[in-house]
Amino acid sequence: MRDRCLLAAIVLAALTAAATGAPAAEDEHDAKFPDIGGTWVRPGAAQWDPTKPAGLRQQAPLTAQYQAIFEANLATTAAGGQEYNPQVNCLPAGMPRVMIAYDPLEFIVTPDVTYIRSDHLAQFRRIYTDGRPWPDEITPSFVGYSIGQWVEPDADGRYGALEVETRSLKGPRALDASGLPLHADNQTIVKERIFLDQANRNLLHDQVTTIDHAYTRPWTVTRSYNRDPDPVWVENNCGADNHYVSLGKETYFISADGYLMPTKKNQPLPVLKDFEQSPK
Amino acid sequence: MLLRNSIATLALATALLAGAGARADDAAKYPNWKGQWVGVGAAADAAWDPGKPAGAGQQAPLTPEYQGIYQAIQAKHASGVKDPTTCLPPGMPRTMVMYEPMEIIVMPDTTYMMITHMSEFRRIFTDGRKWPQDIEPSYAGYSIGHWVDENKDGRYNVLEVETRAMKGPRTFDASGLPLHQDNETVVKERIYLDKNDLNLLHDEVTTIDHALTHPWSVIRSYYREPNPVWNEFVCSEDNHQVLLGKENYLISDQGYLSPTRPGQPAPDLKYFNQKK
Repeated sequence: MRDRCLLAAIVLAALTAAATGAPAAEDEHDAKFPDIGGTWVRPGAAQWDPTKPAGLRQQAPLTAQYQAIFEANLATTAAGGQEYNPQVNCLPAGMPRVMIAYDPLEFIVTPDVTYIRSDHLAQFRRIYTDGRPWPDEITPSFVGYSIGQWVEPDADGRYGALEVETRSLKGPRALDASGLPLHADNQTIVKERIFLDQANRNLLHDQVTTIDHAYTRPWTVTRSYNRDPDPVWVENNCGADNHYVSLGKETYFISADGYLMPTKKNQPLPVLKDFEQSPK
Repeated sequence: MLLRNSIATLALATALLAGAGARADDAAKYPNWKGQWVGVGAAADAAWDPGKPAGAGQQAPLTPEYQGIYQAIQAKHASGVKDPTTCLPPGMPRTMVMYEPMEIIVMPDTTYMMITHMSEFRRIFTDGRKWPQDIEPSYAGYSIGHWVDENKDGRYNVLEVETRAMKGPRTFDASGLPLHQDNETVVKERIYLDKNDLNLLHDEVTTIDHALTHPWSVIRSYYREPNPVWNEFVCSEDNHQVLLGKENYLISDQGYLSPTRPGQPAPDLKYFNQKK
């Protein structure tokens, strides 16, 4: 009996030491995260809701005012323009459009922060999972300020999903290249649920719900990504390669030989009233 | 029987403890570089070697050809001609001046550097990979590093990095201190925390470049900001310059194309149908 008590005490002490050592506890915490670190590639469509055709067939729940803005954007596209598209001027897509993943996304998961890096227009999201409250003041940004929490632990204690809320966005932003608008008040809130596919652990899903005053109700779409086990990273420098220039409300193209060109039929000439000399 | 079971349980517990210890060792291997790192002496006009005055005072070991190029650049600046503002990233090694703060994320296979200025992003691969045969050149280059335990105490304290495959144009600093146009620069770094101040990080940067007569080493340093606030840096948002051919123009607040120097000719609109 005495031996048994002694052994039990030793076992208990050993297990307690294993459980309470700080680095071990941190490592135990690491083992709780799903394997979403690494590189993820968009499998196909780049319209906002990938399950529906682009344009009006997205059936976006826009308010009447913003439906009219969207239809005007589509008309601009049909004429060859892109004035509504901030990316033409190398502005980042911002949230939630960055999650279209025009270029691959890299997820870096640490206990306190999950980072999402998009090489496209060099965007970088920090999703804080350290339990912090919303700060009183946040400087608005294109990617916004994101707080997340890991949820749905399985029987082994491994989390099943990362739930994220993003606020404090700035504009101009659109949902996709067709000009699906977001409200000019920039009060968008984005909620996400990021999780691995149950049947395919190399497939990642992001259920994105956009709450925005341009829409009559929250709009949820699911974007998905394939894992790239052997990524090759290519630097994306929009400023180095951008051939578009916006002057006032008009966007022009810079030709390969360095001249301004129209982007649409009968486009007004750029105003050159500040010049004293005519072209050389 | 009871004793045998107890011994088995003890063995299991010991194994668990050993396993936990091994994991603890892994977690403790890397130095704590978390947080926000702010460049020391990293103003917009900061010289590459922070230990020497800017310009000729840098005593950069330039070849005669590149000394001439640098003098011509300095003469141009002295005459009041400014370089066009572009949104091209500084690239390596200039990005390590750290004009805006940096976050370092140390993972076992890669150390990431997220540099706010121009949103530059360095991946330093520490997974033991070899140099790939083909690397697409980039401003930040391709970096392979390895951790060093100099004190032999079971904990890494130095990250040694080599960076190749850069593209240009790049300069060392805002004065126009040049790198060779062949872009065959190789940069070697030793990154470590100060022994007396664990909130001070040093980067010994050695640049090997055909514009230089010998490898040039400087030490850049960064202090840890205890209460970081991260700001987004979007160069295109505030850049009002546009390059058309070889002429640099300004976009006015009203959205008009404007000259950047007296007497600058207006751009040629030859691709427009100008019939009224």
